[in-house]
Amino acid sequence: MASDEAAEALGSSAPVSRRTVLGGLTLIPVAAVLGSIPPAASAETTFQYLSPHQAAVLDAATRRLIPGPTDNSQETTPGAHEANVVNYLDIMLAAFSFSPPMVHAGGPWSNRAGGSQDFMADFVPLDRAQTYAWQQRITNLRAQYTNGIALLDQLAGGDFTSVSTAQQDSILSTGQAVPFTQLLFGHTIEGMYSVPEYGGNANLVGWQDIQWPGDSQPRGYTDAEVEAAQGDALSASSGIIGLLMRGGWAQTVARMGGKGGVNAR
Amino acid sequence: MPGKAIIVGSGPGGSVMAWELAVAGWNVVIFEQGPNYYTNLGGSGPFPTVFSNDELKALYRYFEQPDPLAYPRTFRQTASQNAANTFVGDVNDLPNQVGGGFPHSDVKTTRMWDIDFKGLSLLGPVPGADMADWPFEYSDLAPYYDEIETLIGVQGDLASIPAFVLQHQPQTKPFPMPPGAQMRSSTLLAAGATRLGLHPFPFPMAANSVPYNGSPACNNCGFCSGYGCPISAKPANLIPLRLALQTGRTQLRPQTTVTQVNYTGRKATGVTYLDAQGNPGGETADIVVLACSAILTPRLALLSNLPDPYSRIGKRIMFQNFYDGFAIFLNQRVHAYRGRSNTQVVFDFNDPNFPGARAFALLCGLPYIRAGLCELGGSQNPIAEGKFYQEILGFLPGVQFFGSTFKQLMRASLLRDRLAGVDCFGTDMPYLTNNVTLDPTIKDLNGQPAPRVTYQIGKFEQASQDFFVPLVSAMCGASGAQLYAAIPQSTANSLGGVAPPSGLHTMGGMQMGVNPATSVVDGNGLMHTMDNVFCSDGSVFATSGGSNPTNTIMAVALRTARGITGRRYPAPATAAMGFGR
Repeated sequence: MASDEAAEALGSSAPVSRRTVLGGLTLIPVAAVLGSIPPAASAETTFQYLSPHQAAVLDAATRRLIPGPTDNSQETTPGAHEANVVNYLDIMLAAFSFSPPMVHAGGPWSNRAGGSQDFMADFVPLDRAQTYAWQQRITNLRAQYTNGIALLDQLAGGDFTSVSTAQQDSILSTGQAVPFTQLLFGHTIEGMYSVPEYGGNANLVGWQDIQWPGDSQPRGYTDAEVEAAQGDALSASSGIIGLLMRGGWAQTVARMGGKGGVNAR
Repeated sequence: MPGKAIIVGSGPGGSVMAWELAVAGWNVVIFEQGPNYYTNLGGSGPFPTVFSNDELKALYRYFEQPDPLAYPRTFRQTASQNAANTFVGDVNDLPNQVGGGFPHSDVKTTRMWDIDFKGLSLLGPVPGADMADWPFEYSDLAPYYDEIETLIGVQGDLASIPAFVLQHQPQTKPFPMPPGAQMRSSTLLAAGATRLGLHPFPFPMAANSVPYNGSPACNNCGFCSGYGCPISAKPANLIPLRLALQTGRTQLRPQTTVTQVNYTGRKATGVTYLDAQGNPGGETADIVVLACSAILTPRLALLSNLPDPYSRIGKRIMFQNFYDGFAIFLNQRVHAYRGRSNTQVVFDFNDPNFPGARAFALLCGLPYIRAGLCELGGSQNPIAEGKFYQEILGFLPGVQFFGSTFKQLMRASLLRDRLAGVDCFGTDMPYLTNNVTLDPTIKDLNGQPAPRVTYQIGKFEQASQDFFVPLVSAMCGASGAQLYAAIPQSTANSLGGVAPPSGLHTMGGMQMGVNPATSVVDGNGLMHTMDNVFCSDGSVFATSGGSNPTNTIMAVALRTARGITGRRYPAPATAAMGFGR
């Protein structure tokens, strides 16, 4: 949280463009766009806060952060686009367009794990302190997103969505845009893996990709499920796991000021 | 003669105080700054809630915690630190709503040891630290521990507690509930601990393994530490709070912030507050009990300008200096998302006589060192996991911090489904330089000065960390995990810049003691300088110990409350006999 808070402190004095549309929740259609140019968000989608161009830039950027099958030839599973992460971002920035504001989903459970009703869909009203804080936070976030999107466009020579995916990766991972990339990536992770009531994780694709069962009430787990051994060995020779086994783990632990090691299998 | 009491804070200390006073005939008004997320707390039967298995709400959107934009705190390491380097935000913020923090934890209920209450007498002074004895000892508190554990419902197995632990915390009353299912992640680590000659056992905790007090058994949903329970299977201090409300003599006022304690001379007359709409109001009472937790109780005392002739209010803040252990299994999934966050505990590192510890202490010029207990088997959920990868991918040269590599890590789930984690608590010494003051510039939404925390670990904590961190790592390695490590939480957190202390075990600031010149409240919880202002929370701790603090907060609160109502247990005959060491 500390880095998020620090990031929020940046750029908070910039003008905020408001494009607030009161009304129901709009989901982006899941479009499987194929081809050599970066896929774009569907033009007819409307958002509560983001302009169509802003949404298109965020769609392009979040496709690089968590890529899906239309973004990278090696990917076979859904990414940020398929999870509707841009919709999550739009609802976060437009939380006060709803009543109660879409900040805290309700409880005690959804209808995904044995519940007969999705209580999470009924958001919890904010109290005086929470309203004060979230209005301030979202005002700051709107400024950061407006400025961040403008910066991505600027670094792409005018339109971030029109440059190649390699150029997009380069813009996001180096130089001036990195603080915004880090902020956006943090929120992309939230939109990918949070309960879907917040507008992301569409069709639970974020959870399915990582074998995360999500909310488990009111069913819970049996004592046998709690205690059970479960296999599923990973290949430890290739990719990022191989890198960790061959010194990356030791490097990471040392960087964090700890002690550790690797056991041969 | 029962009168009228104001209690500021509805957490464990306030709940227990309200229960005892109301049962004894007092009229009680409880002020709680945060919202009430329950319905029917004052009625009988179920009390539904809006807590849920929602990681975003609980851990990233301040649903349970005070929002630091509304209630900022500030942190610096030393009093001489440049103001520009002061951190502003969440500084060990505890949950902020009806019930306080404990019902949002995994409700571990260990006891403190004899050496925690009589550390100065039994273990001697520690250079640089303001070491002190409590005004009472373990044997005085033992019957209150027994009573609290029966009241709130604790699962555990007395027979499995190792002899060296029972020697330090004699306990004869069986736990009211047997241990529940043992998590896979916990039993793997416990096996590693046993291989190293350590002594793991089922973790005592206030989660129901069977229906208890009209609340259901825990169904192992997995969202335990950091989450309010959706099915009320860990009601903990909500039980005494409900009992207080059910007397009909207790009023609970949520979303109401006490801004000042009013007093004349040695007598408090009541409090001034802001209601849910921010409108000011006042309430009078015969006694005022401060129960806002270790950082906020001294802050309220300072805001109220309560008499403090020896400048002791806010001094000696203690946090426990956590070490995080990692046992990562590439050959299996350990599914720590099923269960009660962790279900096994190792107490060996809490013992100053742990093999090698005395010799290491001598080398460091210290009389002894100790860490604290280790919680075995925790993990994290995917948003926290993803943000962790976001951070550590930045350390690896030549690796882009996002994209396919990130997705590969999330699917492999090294730091979630394959992680059996350890939290080891490090006993914090009391230092006069670690304290809470009023920040000169930062204010909360009501215009009141933020609490400013000044804190850094000393030689004792550093030496303990140097000695025990490799042992935590070895324990993780002995579990059979392919990747293992132990990392001090403070160094891991500080990678992103100045990082405040973490761990949520906050103690001190209104120290309990016999001498009015060196403590704030007496052994009855009464402020030395006042006739009717009591403290009933973690702020009264004279030492931190290496156990989870809340069981002790409640036991001390009950002892304090029984002092007010005149219903205390007689002092044990054994107390005069000392400890036989």
